Amino acid sequence: MEHSSVKKIVTAGALGAVSVVLAVTPLGFLPWFGGASLTIMHIPVIVTAVLEGPVAGTVVGLIFGVTSLVKAAVAPVGPLDPLFTNPLVSVLPRLLIGVVAWAVYKLFRGKLTPLAAGAAGAVGGFANTVLVLTMLGLSAADQIAGVLGLETAAIPAFLAGIALSNGLVEAAAAAVFTGAVVSAWKGIAEGGASKLSKEA
Amino acid sequence: MKSLEFFSRVSIGRYIERDSAVHRLSPAAKYLWLFAFILPVSALRSAAAMALLAAAAIAATALAKIRPGYLLRGFVPVLPLVGVAAAFQIIFTSPADSSAVLLAVGPVSVTLREAAAVGGMALRFLAMMLGLGLFTSVITEGDTARGIEDVLSPLAKLGFPAHQLALAVAVAFRFIPIVAGELEGIVKAQAARGADFGTGKGGPLRRARAYLPLVVPVTIRALERAEALAEAMEARCYEARGRTRYVEAEGGRYDLVARLAAIAFAGTSLALGAVLPW
Repeated sequence: MEHSSVKKIVTAGALGAVSVVLAVTPLGFLPWFGGASLTIMHIPVIVTAVLEGPVAGTVVGLIFGVTSLVKAAVAPVGPLDPLFTNPLVSVLPRLLIGVVAWAVYKLFRGKLTPLAAGAAGAVGGFANTVLVLTMLGLSAADQIAGVLGLETAAIPAFLAGIALSNGLVEAAAAAVFTGAVVSAWKGIAEGGASKLSKEA
Repeated sequence: MKSLEFFSRVSIGRYIERDSAVHRLSPAAKYLWLFAFILPVSALRSAAAMALLAAAAIAATALAKIRPGYLLRGFVPVLPLVGVAAAFQIIFTSPADSSAVLLAVGPVSVTLREAAAVGGMALRFLAMMLGLGLFTSVITEGDTARGIEDVLSPLAKLGFPAHQLALAVAVAFRFIPIVAGELEGIVKAQAARGADFGTGKGGPLRRARAYLPLVVPVTIRALERAEALAEAMEARCYEARGRTRYVEAEGGRYDLVARLAAIAFAGTSLALGAVLPW
């Protein structure tokens, strides 16, 4: 499905808004074991990348990244928020989610849509976790060590642990959400019936 | 039911209307100053440079007639982080640290290098809060989108889709209240059917599953609205090329000076940061 550039731009904007809304409300975070929370704010990035291609996905990634940068600086909540005021941590990794998710989706060549979207979601979600943690490790290893009371040398192993534990769960969540959204949307697009279009 | 009122307390980047020299800058100049400020704040390691940058941000805040305290109201919740990091830095002295001891109590001593590391971290965060907070306080939503196009216009000559990016951001701003309203409506509808968000009992898996009937409809509705908007724009022959504007950003000599000053500011800060000893 090739879409016009207007459609791509508008869809990127609309899903960018979804990502912003999820980011500024507590709904962007799923409660998870031990007080840790999973984020679902990157779901709109992956959905856009799957539906409208890598450029639109990168635009939503940019909106998501800048939102988390501004949120960390203007209304910080967690002890790690100061580290997210670095654009290299909060913006740069998010630009790549869309590209990665789109590439995975393309591997399926338009077959098995729900599975392809799920795979794109899983890889995109995992890429988000891994890239953000990598940038955190590169830019702020000393500060994380300070917060957790670990030696700086132990930080790569610690971050790899989070990437595996949190990252895999987030990847699974992203797979479920992306698969559900994309197959629901494709179903509507093929059926041609949409509640909103009837209302309007 | 308090948890269902999401949008009464959101105060991220709210525009504050004032008649000040900072507010009168063109959107492009505001963006240039933002970049000129963020670049040294994230690139430099020197605590003294961070202090100077934070002081510069406070001066700009005063020039914009905004109270710095308002921008820093989020600083207190993260003080524990700074405290813990400070304690860690001070207790575990690096063997390579041969700088002057500022204060010694029993076996614990504070060296100049440790103080600079802790102070630099806190000041960096302070400077970032001031800079981003000030930027979002002096720029309107419309200018945020227009400014992207203006500031990227040199890249647009090389084929970068500056206008398209600005349009996507403008659409996002317009859609935020719509999406927020729909999300609130869907949450309330699900709650009326007995769904439970955040406060719920049951394992995490069950709670995570409760989000599926929330995220899917919100995303689908946003996609539907985007499709309707795109069709409406195409029906009116919208094209991203060669567009004019209803409101032209006023340039003028004052604005040009401000833009050049932003570039000079970035250069000076980076040079100064490289020279300063700590």
